[in-house]
Amino acid sequence: MIKLIKYEFIKKYRLIAITIIASITLNIYLITRSASGGIAFLSLFPMIMGVLFIVDIIKMYSDDLNKKSGYMLFMTPNSGYKIIVSKMITAVIEGLAILLLYFIFIIINGAYMTFQSGVEVNFNDIIYIVNNIISGSFGFNLAHIFVFMLTVLLFLISFLTTIYTAMTIRKSIFSETKFGGVLSFVIFLLLNWGISFVSSKLFNVLDPYYYTFDFSSQVTASELAHTFLPMNILSIVQIILLTLCSGYLLEKKINL
Amino acid sequence: MNELLKIQHLSKYYYNKNALNDVNLSLEKGKIYGLLGPNGSGKTTLMKIIAGLHKQTSGEVLLNNRPLSYKTKANISYMPTENFFYDSFKVKDIVKFYSDMYEDFQVESAFNTLEKIKVDPEFSISKLSSGLVGKLKVALALSRNVELYMLDEPLNGVDVLSRDVIIDLITRSCGENKVIVVSTHLVSEIEKILDSLIFLKDGTIALAGDAEELRMSRCTSVEGIYKEVFGND
Repeated sequence: MIKLIKYEFIKKYRLIAITIIASITLNIYLITRSASGGIAFLSLFPMIMGVLFIVDIIKMYSDDLNKKSGYMLFMTPNSGYKIIVSKMITAVIEGLAILLLYFIFIIINGAYMTFQSGVEVNFNDIIYIVNNIISGSFGFNLAHIFVFMLTVLLFLISFLTTIYTAMTIRKSIFSETKFGGVLSFVIFLLLNWGISFVSSKLFNVLDPYYYTFDFSSQVTASELAHTFLPMNILSIVQIILLTLCSGYLLEKKINL
Repeated sequence: MNELLKIQHLSKYYYNKNALNDVNLSLEKGKIYGLLGPNGSGKTTLMKIIAGLHKQTSGEVLLNNRPLSYKTKANISYMPTENFFYDSFKVKDIVKFYSDMYEDFQVESAFNTLEKIKVDPEFSISKLSSGLVGKLKVALALSRNVELYMLDEPLNGVDVLSRDVIIDLITRSCGENKVIVVSTHLVSEIEKILDSLIFLKDGTIALAGDAEELRMSRCTSVEGIYKEVFGND
């Protein structure tokens, strides 16, 4: 599994290098041009990277299914389950790396803009803010952040599995049909419709507390976790079922 | 038991074509098989099913009496006819990939073969000529230590001098526990190393048997038999 992930990154190391260099260059260009340049970059970055990320993770799997270079992967003695899970882990690492890069840009641009404005930075203030976050004085603490990040991560993985399952279904059950890309998208929409239908039925029978929760008042981390619980459980179930489905199809029905 | 691969009632249908139709075959260890037939006769489809890249519509393929799965891929070295290498890689990266993915891959032997066929490990795949890609594919496929080798058109695009080197490599790779299946259009160049012949026509086996017996019984070369079988196509 680690070897499969390693080669996914080796395949795209040039793209990664170009993206990082281009981001740094654009950021330097924008923050040195105007005072609001740093803000503009921080607004643009998530949008552009979000689109690039989606395109890249689709291409990562699509190339293996639709191009001859996919033989390199599918001739190896790795099970379909291992292949699909390695793709998902690669995508998650990539998503987290983009997030990390964004945080680094926030810190750099924040520091630069503070320096430019002439405001004297007191490191005791920064330590005070961090302490307040940890202790929960701002109405949320690290546990809140963890619960929120976990929910986002599970949503991201379930979204990925849906995309990959749609592409796997198209390349296995419907491998002989034309208009592959369009068909994959239609299957993706149908899968999402099915998942939404099942989840709405499930949520209807769940604790009404889930719906009446008042987000304007202060919530504890456990209350937040409880609120997100049905959604997270559904994401986990969705991830497991769709991964099993994709793995099985790659194993038994694939036609490259 | 000398049988390595058994194919029973194998069929593969595409939406507008019948690629393989009720194919039955048995391949024995220690032999080099020639899989012969014109374009579209089903050779590549048959090899891809055995390699696990395609799935059959019906029928069964057994390798050492076990149905094909990802585990049996560890005992099959398949060389597709297309250039399937990652474009962004260098030759040495592809060798490393093979070494990481296949426990049976012999790195030293691969580099020796590459030197012999004059493929520089520092070359970029995207800059290789089709002839060099062809030689690289054969070198890598034969650097694995498995029981079943399948080479789809190994002489395609390869210059005349290198063809002899490749034919020599194929001959030296065959051992008593191994099976090599070679599909080719260049029948006359490779017929001297073939032990058995399988003629595939429109997805069915038109003729199969021991190469020497077929030559004797028909009083002609393999190329002559090829022309007899497919002459009217």
